[in-house]
Amino acid sequence: MNLFKPVLGAVLVGLLSFTSANAGDVLDKIMSSKTLKVATDANWPPQSFINDKNEMDGFDVDVAREIAKRLGTEVEFITPSWDIITAGNWNGRWDMHVGSMTPTKQRAEVLAFPAIYYYTPAAVGVHKDSKISKISELSGKKVGTGTGTTFELYLQQDLTIDAAGAPTFNFQVDKPVIKSYETSTIALDDLRLGDGVRLDGVVSSLPVFIEAIKNGYPIKVLGDPIFYEPLAVTIDLGDSELNAKIASIVAAMQDEGVLSEMSKKWYGVDYATVK
Amino acid sequence: MIQDTVTEDILLRKPRFIGLLFAIILLVFVIFDPSQSLMGSLLEPALGDPAQSGFYGRLVTSLMLSALLVLNLVIISFIPRFGFQVVVVWIQLLILFLTFFYSFDLSFEFIQSKIWFMITQGIFTTLYVSAISIVIASFIAIIGAIAKMSSNGFAYAIASFYTSFFRGLPLLMQVYLIYLGFPQIGYVIDAVPAGIIALSLCYGAYMTEIFRAGIMSIDAGQWEGSRALGFKFGLTMRKIILPQSIPLIIPPTGNQFIAMLKDSSLVSVIGVWELMFLARTLGNKTFNHMEMLITAAMLYWMMTMILELIQSRIERKYQKRQSR
Repeated sequence: MNLFKPVLGAVLVGLLSFTSANAGDVLDKIMSSKTLKVATDANWPPQSFINDKNEMDGFDVDVAREIAKRLGTEVEFITPSWDIITAGNWNGRWDMHVGSMTPTKQRAEVLAFPAIYYYTPAAVGVHKDSKISKISELSGKKVGTGTGTTFELYLQQDLTIDAAGAPTFNFQVDKPVIKSYETSTIALDDLRLGDGVRLDGVVSSLPVFIEAIKNGYPIKVLGDPIFYEPLAVTIDLGDSELNAKIASIVAAMQDEGVLSEMSKKWYGVDYATVK
Repeated sequence: MIQDTVTEDILLRKPRFIGLLFAIILLVFVIFDPSQSLMGSLLEPALGDPAQSGFYGRLVTSLMLSALLVLNLVIISFIPRFGFQVVVVWIQLLILFLTFFYSFDLSFEFIQSKIWFMITQGIFTTLYVSAISIVIASFIAIIGAIAKMSSNGFAYAIASFYTSFFRGLPLLMQVYLIYLGFPQIGYVIDAVPAGIIALSLCYGAYMTEIFRAGIMSIDAGQWEGSRALGFKFGLTMRKIILPQSIPLIIPPTGNQFIAMLKDSSLVSVIGVWELMFLARTLGNKTFNHMEMLITAAMLYWMMTMILELIQSRIERKYQKRQSR
């Protein structure tokens, strides 16, 4: 029994070491602890994923590292699921999210968007044997996408993009049967099974489709991008200082062409400047 | 089942049964068309391209396969020793299973490059989260069991409310509620402690019943005797009742641990890098999802097999002690 005591002690200490919620200044906390806690998704190549060395890597991860470098802090990555991030109320669990989030009206009620750092085209993909040739032909068909994403909102015809400089768009798919997946890469796995086997089409970001096709998925992209989503760095509501700081850092990265360079490195195309 | 001496004819020796079996298997094969399978390609020199050989090609392939399968079953039925028979069937099922996975055209290079990380990071996290949770759950279960048997209305009400609530919700929902709910009252907990709390509370509720059954099974005379000697409640529990009920409690607790090992995969939703999380994420960059899922499945299976071996040892040990 003597062996149990220290083990139990360690467990209790571990459980009780709650970090209390900080309603105060997030920026002060970041600067005093010298670590920037960044939430990212590990399921989203080439934005953010686990690389061959089993570390976080990708475009978003590079952007987060650069922001931390310019703040003069270390960076630490946390990988909660997407719906937990978009739910807001982070309570200081992490300070910033760089994960290609589109600033929508609904999200702006629980989160703050200091800066837009790039735009990705959203596209529609179908199986390469599919007879569908126009995006509007997917109306009423089975279309897969990631749950809680802007692509899902687009299919529900409930998407409002509220950012300066974003091109306008209209809803081309009418009343599809929406199948929502944990991530849209799983939707691609269902689409590859064959045309109409489980899905007739998938809505996701163009880079994801390009990556999938490069990896041998029997998929083709239909027509032009359906909309351009502005993608922003996200923080919790309530710290205007942090908001201003991140906004100025990202603006500087944009001016110096750092973002364009990173975009070319990961996508081969410059998505950082508006077309 | 109990081994008895009543003997019946072995079904696989009756020609009529073999014929019926053959017919059923043949029908299944014809329906599911095996001509594109490995067998089809083995028969290709005789029948030609399986895609071209048509219905008769399909029939011949099915006939061959059914005959082989039935022959195999009959041969196995002639193996004299029970243990030997079990081993042969196991090996055959395993080979069938592996060829099934092999037909997915998996990239073994990729698996090889990731497997070490899955063990050091994934299995390690899975094991320590489960181990800490089972220890805490045991403590909760002792308290819960005593409270549920007590004549104190408060204690009984609280304990039965607890078991009812945590047995009545899906574990996944408890994980979410604890991870997202605690911050609402001012305590921000990390993903790992939140997962441990959820697992402990849920399994504590189930194990309360195990502990209660273990304590109840001790003869009432033990309790009465102890009380007659003037022992207080705590002393009776500690020195008389619990030492006798522990041997009854430990085997089902081991089973709970094995179940928890698999349920701990649910904490992957809050971003804990355990085996299930890695299975879902590692293959994403290169689109090798199947590889990682199958590897993780095999690792879970191996872990539970080892634990089940240990479990049967423990059970045997306590059985011996009881029969003494």
